[in-house]
Amino acid sequence: MKTTGGRAGILYLMILGFFVGLGVFLFGFVKDGGAWAMQPFNKYASGDSQLTTAGDVLDRSGVVLAKSENGKRVYSSDETIRRAMLHAVGDTNGYISTGVQYRYRSEIGGYNPITGLTSPTGKKQGSDITLTLSSELSKLAYNKLDGRRGAVAMYNYKTGEMLVMVSTPDFDPANVPKDIDTNSKYEGAYLNKVLSASYTPGSIFKIVTTAAAIETLSDWDTKTFTCKGSTTINGNKITCDGVHGTINIKQALAKSCNVAFAQLAVELGEEKMTAEANTMGFNRSFSVDGIDTSKSKYDVKGAEKQALAWSGIGQHTDMTNPYHMMLLMGAIANDGTPVQPYFIKQIKNSLGIVQQQGKTELGTQLVKPTTAQTLEQLMRNNVTSDYGDDMFPGMSVCAKTGTAEVGGGKKPNGWMIGFSSDPTTPYAFAVVVEEGNYGRTSAGPIAKAIMTQAKKLGL
Amino acid sequence: MLAQIMEFLGTALTVILFALRVLIPVLSLVVLWRCFVSLRRGRRREDPVILLEEMTTHVKIPVLYWENSMGRSRSCDIVLPDNTASRDHAVLMRREAGWLITDTNSKAGTFVNGTKAAPTLSVMPGDVIAMGSTALMLKRTNEGDFKKKRTLFQSNRRLPSPLGLMSMVFLIQIFLAAQLCFGGEAFAWQPLIPFGALTVLEWGLYYYFMRVRNHVSFELETIGFLLSGIGIMLLAGADVKLAYTQLAAMAGGIILFCMLISFMGDLDRVTKWRIAIGLFAVALFAVNLAFGVASHGAKNWINLGPITVQPSEFIKIAFVFAGASTLDRLQTAKNLTEFLVFSGICIGSLFLMKDFGTASIFFITFLLISFMRSGSLRTVILACSAAALGAFMILQFKPYIADRFAAWRHVWEYSDGTGYQQTRVLSYTASGGLFGAGMGEGYLKNVFAGTSDLMFGMICEELGMVLAVVVTLCIVMLALYTKLDATRSRSTFYSIAACSAAGMLLFQAALNIFGATDVLPLTGVTLPFLSAGGSSMVSVWGLLAFMKASDERTYAARRKST
Repeated sequence: MKTTGGRAGILYLMILGFFVGLGVFLFGFVKDGGAWAMQPFNKYASGDSQLTTAGDVLDRSGVVLAKSENGKRVYSSDETIRRAMLHAVGDTNGYISTGVQYRYRSEIGGYNPITGLTSPTGKKQGSDITLTLSSELSKLAYNKLDGRRGAVAMYNYKTGEMLVMVSTPDFDPANVPKDIDTNSKYEGAYLNKVLSASYTPGSIFKIVTTAAAIETLSDWDTKTFTCKGSTTINGNKITCDGVHGTINIKQALAKSCNVAFAQLAVELGEEKMTAEANTMGFNRSFSVDGIDTSKSKYDVKGAEKQALAWSGIGQHTDMTNPYHMMLLMGAIANDGTPVQPYFIKQIKNSLGIVQQQGKTELGTQLVKPTTAQTLEQLMRNNVTSDYGDDMFPGMSVCAKTGTAEVGGGKKPNGWMIGFSSDPTTPYAFAVVVEEGNYGRTSAGPIAKAIMTQAKKLGL
Repeated sequence: MLAQIMEFLGTALTVILFALRVLIPVLSLVVLWRCFVSLRRGRRREDPVILLEEMTTHVKIPVLYWENSMGRSRSCDIVLPDNTASRDHAVLMRREAGWLITDTNSKAGTFVNGTKAAPTLSVMPGDVIAMGSTALMLKRTNEGDFKKKRTLFQSNRRLPSPLGLMSMVFLIQIFLAAQLCFGGEAFAWQPLIPFGALTVLEWGLYYYFMRVRNHVSFELETIGFLLSGIGIMLLAGADVKLAYTQLAAMAGGIILFCMLISFMGDLDRVTKWRIAIGLFAVALFAVNLAFGVASHGAKNWINLGPITVQPSEFIKIAFVFAGASTLDRLQTAKNLTEFLVFSGICIGSLFLMKDFGTASIFFITFLLISFMRSGSLRTVILACSAAALGAFMILQFKPYIADRFAAWRHVWEYSDGTGYQQTRVLSYTASGGLFGAGMGEGYLKNVFAGTSDLMFGMICEELGMVLAVVVTLCIVMLALYTKLDATRSRSTFYSIAACSAAGMLLFQAALNIFGATDVLPLTGVTLPFLSAGGSSMVSVWGLLAFMKASDERTYAARRKST
């Protein structure tokens, strides 16, 4: 009998196994319950989509960007705002995976692990999400893009609040085009290019090369280069927009002299260039409100001299992500360590309990403080000596433009990245216009418009 | 104004129903805990009723169990320090008629007052048992022979009252009925019919056992009614016809429960009928294979005019009967061949019917029984390897079977294909939260097999995750209880039967719960006591009878009353 009783202990093993299974299930329930619940087929949340009874999405000043009305998801009445805010807000079907309507679908749908999608009072209501973005500024940026593809990002580098996050191509979430999946016009429309795209940087990368020079060469400020309009490295010709003659680094940055920076990159070498790029945030992903951004890329491992030269002027295989460029500008403006950007201001449930609150936090250092201060002066010089300070009146803007060759018979992408060093207008921006040609004439006016308007609004 | 008052009343009612849904799992947990306490405390103290006195040294050896193995081996209940005794020499058993000793093929033989046991003799107090060079006298214990042990569960605190526990279950069922009656737009009286029928059945059995048969315990039945009640009321919310079928099946199950308990009262009778039951089971499988009808891939149904039954559910009971054995038989017939062949036929038949879920339940039960009988890990490992090889061969030659499991752990990628049911379960489970959306308010019941294979999800959706967990704990508790009381039953037959029945139910519950929630592949078995399914309901109550029979109080009380 004793033996039989002992052998019955095998039941303990079964019970243990049972609890392991139950543990797996309950762990999933706690961790992924929201995702389980927010399915298009779920009849607690569905009608035409899972957002039938969802909460509102508001911009920084309380403008309703999306809400649920009579079982339907309704967006802003202004079509331009709908399009400008599309990638931040997201679409009804949840195809824009970085949009808040998808990422926070369980919160917005009113899901919580205690009552699921049900309500003790029988009245269902999801949480409201307030963004830090300004629909007014975004609309302006969208209008200035004027149908061209690209990305516009701007944030307040003192508070971390993102003010503009516009990506094109786009579509109207209130009237989703039928040919969205077939028409090449909409290629990449589900992608938020600010966060999830990377572009060839072109001349804006010269900031990285400059930083490497500042930190490596003791004579960087007296050193000069001779520009005869082009230079040949390993039989590979690199041309300049003009003939700059004898030129130092400060002037070379303002004139965006390819010859100088190509030679500089070769002189600095693979190791120093890579180290500086990595420090400044290349080859890694950043997280903004839990979204991992697309990586900026700098890879010259084992590259030949001419490739290294091209990489120093932002060509070769260099890639940059617009959000990263905006962050880098924020870092330079803030003595090397940026304030972490965010665009979710607040998530508040129907009982008025705040579930998430955006706050000002420092990110990781991207530039050494002394280097940041030097870069700030150099970039300020770019504007005053070359671009013209009247572009951003009264804001002491420091900036760099770029015209990135992309090949394939396409016109170059135009870039402008920068920030206002005036503490009353602490904005940093990154603007890229695909096939925009010169950065100054394509991205420049967009940057000018949003900076000026932001100053006017006092954001 | 009137509209506002109506709206307020509507909201108030919703809040009250929600509060009841919070209360239901709390009360259920209390019932579960009190039943467990009652089962543990109510059992006999571990004091010997009789003892054996060594004739030369006058050492008193306590006899602790109803069946005691005796021999040289240290694993024996009564160890004989005697080189002339066999390792497993004899079994001393207490039966209705009194104490018996059975020689288990010992070399030297067993003698009672000089008469050789061939193999069984009855032993009276004062009789001398001789084995090898050892002589023992059977004696009644006197007060003070052994120190009384006190353990945690044997304190003198009052036992939970069976009536109180049943009343609490009834209260839970009233709450469940209230959910159904007041949950809709207007008051619905229809759910009161199954509720009434449930009330009559459970209190009828309570009256019969506690008042007519004078049983002292009702814990297992109480748990059975708690679970069945939740299931029946959920079904009433989905489709009242299902609830009627379920109630009829429960009535049948209760009758089977009573019959089995009474049948198992006499172990000799059980031993006599074991072969017949086994043959009947094999015959039933043969009939099923010959005349079975396929339903959703598995050919495991037989049409009997107005009703269809699933023979494999009843064969579960026969399987336990065939597997369990008394201690003297365990000692003499050590090989498992007979049971191995029987198990092979059962599992093989289920494979031919393509009912892999039930086949695996039989397989696990087979492992459980063979381990409890032989204690041989080798057998278990061998059987597992054979099964793994078999599974591998099947997947090699019939690759389409593997497709059935393709969605496992990837259900979201197949949410409109083979992962359809699991994704619905997960989604609606999460939607219900901890306390559910309310009975009859769910959507999972409309999904295919929602009230049977996906029943766990339906509990989660309509009554909440907390109650679903309490329900699973009830089934775990049955297994825990049978393990803890395995040495207390009147024979190893009851222990093995109870443990394998509890293990079977636990494994079946695991397959159902984890299959539906994508922790394991979905195989389509029922959740014991809860899923819609007549055959399953009858069989589950039948299996509960094994656990009831292993509780020695079940028969102690009966003797008292006759």
